[in-house]
Amino acid sequence: MFHVPVMDLEELVKHKLLPGHKLIAAVQAGLVQEFVKRDRALALIEGFEAADVSAHLDIIAANKRSGAVPAVEVERAVLVLCSTAEFLPSSPSQFFIESVLPIDARFKYTIDGLEISHRSYALTDGNQSAILLSLSSSRHQLLFEMTFSQKTNIFVSEVMKAAEGVSKRKAPTPEFTWLKPYLNNSASSGSSKPSAAGDHNQNSQQIFTIEGGSPCLVADLIGMSPEGADGGSQTVNSDGGAGGDNFIETGRDVVANRASPSHKGGLGGSLAAEDEADLLRVKDITLDNFALNQSTFYKPAVMPVLAGARESHVQHMMAQRQGSYTHALPLTVFVGTWNVNGVPPSIGLIEWLAVDPEPPDVYALGFQELDLATEAYIFQASNREPEWRAAVLSSLHPAARYVEVKLVRLVGMLLMVLVQEKHAKHVSRVQACTVPTGIMNMLGNKGGVSVSLELYNTSVCFVNCHLAAHVEEYERRNEDYDCICEKTVFVGPSGLQRYIRDHSHIYFFGDMNYRISASPEVNIRKLASAGQYETLLKLDQLNQQRRIGRVFKGYSEGPINFQPTFKYDKDTDSWDSSEKQRQPAWCDRILWAGEGIEQRIYRVHMALKISDHKPVSASFSSQVKVIDQAKYRRVHEEVMKQLDKMENEFLPSVSLSKSEVVLSPVHFLELQSETITISNTGQFPVQFSFIKKLNDEECCKPWLKIHPKSAFIPPGGDCVVRLDVKVDKSSAWVLASGAEQLYDILVLHLDGGKDYFITITGDYVRSCFGSSINALVHLNKPFCEVPVAQLIDLESSAPQKTLELPYAIPKELWYLVDHLHSHALSTEGLFTRPGLSKELCEIRAALDAGMPSRELGVSVHSIAQALLVFLEALPEPVVPCSLYPAALRAAAEGYLPAKQVVSQMPDYHRNVFTYLMAFLNELLVHRHENKLDASTLGSL
Amino acid sequence: MSAGPYNYSYIFKYIIIGDMGVGKSCLLHQFTEKKFMADCPHTIGVEFGTRIIEVAGQKIKLQIWDTAGQERFRAVTRSYYRGAAGALMVYDVTRRSTYNHLSSWLTDARNLTNPNTVIFLIGNKGDLDAQRDVTYEEAQQFAEENGLMFVEASAKTGENVEEAFLETAKKIYQNIQDGSLDLNAAESGVQHKPNGGQAGAGGRATLNNSSAGQTRENCSC
Repeated sequence: MFHVPVMDLEELVKHKLLPGHKLIAAVQAGLVQEFVKRDRALALIEGFEAADVSAHLDIIAANKRSGAVPAVEVERAVLVLCSTAEFLPSSPSQFFIESVLPIDARFKYTIDGLEISHRSYALTDGNQSAILLSLSSSRHQLLFEMTFSQKTNIFVSEVMKAAEGVSKRKAPTPEFTWLKPYLNNSASSGSSKPSAAGDHNQNSQQIFTIEGGSPCLVADLIGMSPEGADGGSQTVNSDGGAGGDNFIETGRDVVANRASPSHKGGLGGSLAAEDEADLLRVKDITLDNFALNQSTFYKPAVMPVLAGARESHVQHMMAQRQGSYTHALPLTVFVGTWNVNGVPPSIGLIEWLAVDPEPPDVYALGFQELDLATEAYIFQASNREPEWRAAVLSSLHPAARYVEVKLVRLVGMLLMVLVQEKHAKHVSRVQACTVPTGIMNMLGNKGGVSVSLELYNTSVCFVNCHLAAHVEEYERRNEDYDCICEKTVFVGPSGLQRYIRDHSHIYFFGDMNYRISASPEVNIRKLASAGQYETLLKLDQLNQQRRIGRVFKGYSEGPINFQPTFKYDKDTDSWDSSEKQRQPAWCDRILWAGEGIEQRIYRVHMALKISDHKPVSASFSSQVKVIDQAKYRRVHEEVMKQLDKMENEFLPSVSLSKSEVVLSPVHFLELQSETITISNTGQFPVQFSFIKKLNDEECCKPWLKIHPKSAFIPPGGDCVVRLDVKVDKSSAWVLASGAEQLYDILVLHLDGGKDYFITITGDYVRSCFGSSINALVHLNKPFCEVPVAQLIDLESSAPQKTLELPYAIPKELWYLVDHLHSHALSTEGLFTRPGLSKELCEIRAALDAGMPSRELGVSVHSIAQALLVFLEALPEPVVPCSLYPAALRAAAEGYLPAKQVVSQMPDYHRNVFTYLMAFLNELLVHRHENKLDASTLGSL
Repeated sequence: MSAGPYNYSYIFKYIIIGDMGVGKSCLLHQFTEKKFMADCPHTIGVEFGTRIIEVAGQKIKLQIWDTAGQERFRAVTRSYYRGAAGALMVYDVTRRSTYNHLSSWLTDARNLTNPNTVIFLIGNKGDLDAQRDVTYEEAQQFAEENGLMFVEASAKTGENVEEAFLETAKKIYQNIQDGSLDLNAAESGVQHKPNGGQAGAGGRATLNNSSAGQTRENCSC
């Protein structure tokens, strides 16, 4: 994620807008394509039809005076913007519109929550929630991943509002002519490919290829049926979105973390972390300034699909590959509608239901005014229902056997869905819904009854409606239609909500009651009887309302070349002769929406005369999708495999300049530095650290210092790790005794990835420093000339090669003390002033070489310090550890006990002790000159 | 360990162990990428791979740690054994020495993993029958004597690679089902991290102590 301050993003988008168009909200999002995520910006903009511009401006002016709400309905669209800059785009020219999604009737969105807990997200470090927003229009289907923040929340709820506004809208279908300039813009920008900034090296290449790749993706998406992506995702209603946090799933993926969560515990922030908080967290990681700046604004062009989002991505990808595992099966769907005016089925229905030579695969039959009895309003039961059901069942096409899938009735409205027996096992998720729109929208004398089902792998919805009556009431009919669309909701077992519009195939039929608008110069009856329908159909209210886009947006109706279906005298074919003299009308209609539906027949059945309406039917050849299970599994497996592969490839990886460090000979107290360059060769930021091995206290041996021990490396970046080797008094004796060697294996761990071993080997050049008194007294030649084997032998508890006449004290000690004794007894500040480390090394070298230190031109302070270091580095102190407590007691008790302790010391230790005490005593004699006193020396 | 919004119910940690050059990384690569990696460099460190598989309708995410086989890293790679639900112990059918070292690898595996860890013996390079140095029968016998699952596989041809990983998972799953594998213990293992955020907790103290000695020893070699 690149973090652009929201003001900047909005400013940039505003530069892209035409005058008069308004930016509602802008947010950054990751466009998920296949397995990768690319950064985009989303902008919700508002505009209006060009023709309305002047009107709109007038109204705005008027509103300024009156404060009223504008009457011109604005339209909204989502722009997808892409940046050509690697980092934060700083000028509008680096920003272009990639695609435009008008929020119209075909616009759909779904939202999924997900939690990111992928460890390669070093930038945000820890769990962070995100949402997946899927947007689809007639041309695009795009999946975006957005971090959860206030901005995102605003954006999403604005999109929801806009989409809802469209579905409720009464005005004509939006044309979105005002968007055309943007569409052109996006086409030209896309093809001319602005050159990527050259100085931002490593990712420009990737961005370039992405631009090239995008058009292909869009092409893939065009013509995809819209239900693809939302097949499994949940439709979120407006409450959920506006409510804020509650649409985020907050399940924590404990098992997905490869490491113990305690590692992240301190850093893992709250779910609704603001971007600022993310930035702060970055600073928690040890970084040099460069890396910090890089990481804050670093924008990897490609991000891995996150583990937590897998399921959504699998669904998305499966939807995109639908063509490769489904085939279309053409089924004949027979849809019938009849307002039976409350009469019983006194006749057979074969002339309505079984007139075609071939039996239909599916029957969907809608009745209206099945029961006009008052009881039907009050009680659930109806005597008519079983009668008509029996009549239907006995009149189905004789050439096939049918099973009833669902029967649903609301007062007089009855909907029966039947399928041929052979298809029965391919019908699933059958649900029904009834919506009353009668008096107070409560009574079921008008309204709609619907059945939703899955036919093979296509979602199908049948809606049988009975809309408001009377010639002049077409607006009521429009509202009844709106009400049915809005309130018909099928709730699945998992709480999944489906509206009518969420189905792939929709058949909407019934007594819609739209009449032929009265016109003085038109004699409806005459034209109807004469078969001159053209004029009448122009005056047909349903046709008129559809033309202005008021109802049945996106629906089709076949050409009507049959006479009006209403209103006849009972048992005749003659027009209404009652007092009311109702005019003929095509009240009974059948419309459909969806891909792959072809109407074969649309007709009236004049033979059935028992009602004042004649039954109508339509026969469709509808292509339903059938999933080939074997192919589906294969594709699914492929998708899973690809995801696994991506997950492995997206693991962080680095290269090391060396995995083995061979040190040149290491001397006591001599610093040696080596460097290893760690280069991030992957595409993602890497957080590395040197980790402790099992049961080790530290990540490396005490003679080694690593700097830095952990750091962050941006993709393409390097980090130089310095290894400082210095054997000091604490580690010298272990190395000198041969108990340990100058050898270590460092474990370099990448957060979320693999571990690298770095071997460090070297030879420690033994020195008299760090050797034991017992060993040193047995050496009669310079230390450096003694073979290592002999040294190890002498350091062991039972040395074999000993001198017959060992020295009383180590000769090195004598050199040092003698030097001080001859030169420094009167030196002020002896032992309290530090020596020079360079001179210490010289002294060490001289002592090991057996050269008297007095020949060195070093300061006495350095000699003094060398003496102290020499004593400190002894594996066993002069006063052996075993005698130490006794010695402390004795010091307090007086001379005799002290003498006893001294006598208990090993021979050479006693010699050294006595020798040193003599020297110290000598120093105190000269206390006036060297300003030392007993307490200072005692503290030494 | 519910699946939650994720599409797997369990995570199993695997380790792959065995001598240098027996093809551990190639087996991992073949399993995760379905490709043979010729000229695979020696692993200096621990490689990491994942794949989601299905056992008895349950989706299981395998986290596979492929360790360096070189003797000098032995002490360090021991850090990675802990918490493994499955251990794939690999030898090279064309090099007897790699087979001879199995008992030492097995000792490590037994000592450093929990008693329910499924150990699966893989004789790799099964495609090189002409250069065979270890017969199927003797390895089979070794496996039987030590209660190991066994298969000869080839990372080059892919033969039996899938099977080895899947059979191990099935066995682990079976252990969970019949209750012999304590899920809580297994879970703590899955969460284990070699740099030891929770090292030395509870019942592991003895294990730590015993392996501590070994680590020391081997460091000084």
